[in-house]
Amino acid sequence: MNSLTKASTLSSEDISVWFGQRQVLSDVNLTFPANKVTALIGPSGCGKSTFLRTLNRMHELIPSAGLSGSVFLDGEDIYGEDFDAVTVRIKIGMVFQKPNPFPTMSIKDNILSGLRLSGRKIGNAEELVETSLRRASIWNEVKDRLNDQAISLSGGQQQRLCIARSLAMDPEVLLMDEPCSALDPGSTRRIEETIKELSSSMTIVIVTHNMQQAQRVSDQTAFFLADDNTPGGVVEFGATEQIFNGPIDQRTNDYVNGHFG
Amino acid sequence: MSFAPRPAIQPWKRANNSRRLQIILATLLPGALSFLIVSSASIDPNLALIAIFLPLQIIAAGIVGVRAYGKRGFGDALLVVLTTFFSAFVLIMLLSVLLSVLSEGSKAISLQFLTQNNIYVSNTTSLDYGGVAHALLGTVLIVGVTTIVAVPLGIAMSVYLTQSQSKLRGIVRTVTQALSGLPSVVSGLFVLSVIGTFGFSKSGIFGSMALFPLMLPTVARVAEEALKLVPADLRLAALALGAPNYKAFFQVILPAAKSGLVTALLLGLARVIGETAPLLLTVNVNNGTSWNPFNGPMETLPAYVYGYLSSSFSSSHQRAWGAALVLLLLVAVLFGAARFLGRAKSMKSKPTKQKASK
Repeated sequence: MNSLTKASTLSSEDISVWFGQRQVLSDVNLTFPANKVTALIGPSGCGKSTFLRTLNRMHELIPSAGLSGSVFLDGEDIYGEDFDAVTVRIKIGMVFQKPNPFPTMSIKDNILSGLRLSGRKIGNAEELVETSLRRASIWNEVKDRLNDQAISLSGGQQQRLCIARSLAMDPEVLLMDEPCSALDPGSTRRIEETIKELSSSMTIVIVTHNMQQAQRVSDQTAFFLADDNTPGGVVEFGATEQIFNGPIDQRTNDYVNGHFG
Repeated sequence: MSFAPRPAIQPWKRANNSRRLQIILATLLPGALSFLIVSSASIDPNLALIAIFLPLQIIAAGIVGVRAYGKRGFGDALLVVLTTFFSAFVLIMLLSVLLSVLSEGSKAISLQFLTQNNIYVSNTTSLDYGGVAHALLGTVLIVGVTTIVAVPLGIAMSVYLTQSQSKLRGIVRTVTQALSGLPSVVSGLFVLSVIGTFGFSKSGIFGSMALFPLMLPTVARVAEEALKLVPADLRLAALALGAPNYKAFFQVILPAAKSGLVTALLLGLARVIGETAPLLLTVNVNNGTSWNPFNGPMETLPAYVYGYLSSSFSSSHQRAWGAALVLLLLVAVLFGAARFLGRAKSMKSKPTKQKASK
């Protein structure tokens, strides 16, 4: 159970997204290589969080949602017939912007909740709880209070608990939607360290509004932009170093240097 | 500045003796003045409470407020006076009901009153004989059957209303709301017509049927509100972990809504437990004890109260008060038990899960 599976490569092909009649994303083609951290940056409302949710089929939970294009996990289309949403979400974990531990469960039960909810067997519960909490670098803070309610933790600890909860599922890919936006600098730093350590065993895609964070944690960066009344899309995609220090597109240059957005 | 007598733990509450005196005067004077006016002139005291006391109280509090804070002090004073006055008004009414039932009812209550039925009791029998055991049993059985059917169905409806995307939700919600205004006597009449049409005889089960449409919408609506309060985040978190919808619901949403669902049960109980008319129509009355809700008339506490109050004998009135008190106590016990169970379960869940994982 705890043997780390090989990370997978995730890629999107011509992903376009609608809400009702309104198109919000147009033809996004990105590749997230195994064991790499990819940052998605861009101003609010440009569709990067929406795009992130298409990658583990959380997008389809919105009743008016529409989608065209494909997302490939190691070459297999997650919207294809061989996959269903539940299987996809087990392989591709997600951490949300706001910490959302289950309030009725203890810290320990939160960690085990993923396996219970997806109906999988729990081998050695104690070991899994410890490993997951260690990987999210929160073990030392909570090891003596595993049976306390999860909501007794601070915001930063709750978010790391949510990361640990995702890690207990041993995902191949981890999607993070502004995981540090509600956290103080200390908690942010710890989560960034966690992200770096995790990239050795999984593929990570992180949405962030924090330019420094993107530079610190990511190997490659995609800049999203939605011009007035047009669907959002990727303006520039490349190595983080290049996006921040030598962007080709003028709009990318303006954004990463804080001229708009 | 002057020396503070003790460390100011709440510095916003500075001791101000002249203000304190003003407040005491503003609290006592209007009452005293109204009392004088009412006793010297012959004015209806109830009218005076609203027409004399309340305006005087507002003026007095207003003066204190304006002296302290200027114009805005009047608004604050008005709010304080009105809310206090009407809260006290409602509280006094409720307490009078409770106290009169307690003082009158306690005269009738004894062990024998709780354990005997009225099969050998006539209007002139002393209170040393007979009791409400048969009515208590009837109420528990009839309301129990209604609860066992209505609560799961009501919660199921609330789940449908909150969790599904179906277009029928609007219709279901409208019908539920319309049903929640159903007068109980109408529900009783309907069941009575069913009894008549099919040639049944009145019995406890028909009482449960008549209470069912009263309890169901209450449970469904309160449970719907409880489920709506569960943050959407939690469902998304569960689904993102690969939970199928039903597991996300049973393991995450339902536990989070539990205390609200207990409230739904309690309000549903409160809605039906004191109903009289539909039971008189469909269950009839019975001085003896009946354990079988499917056969023959049963006594219930509200019907018992109604029946003995209609009599002109004072011992009968005592019995009615006693039964009313028993009904109140039953409600109190049920509410207490439900709250306790709602809490105890969440504490228990931890150790059992730990065992399961070992």
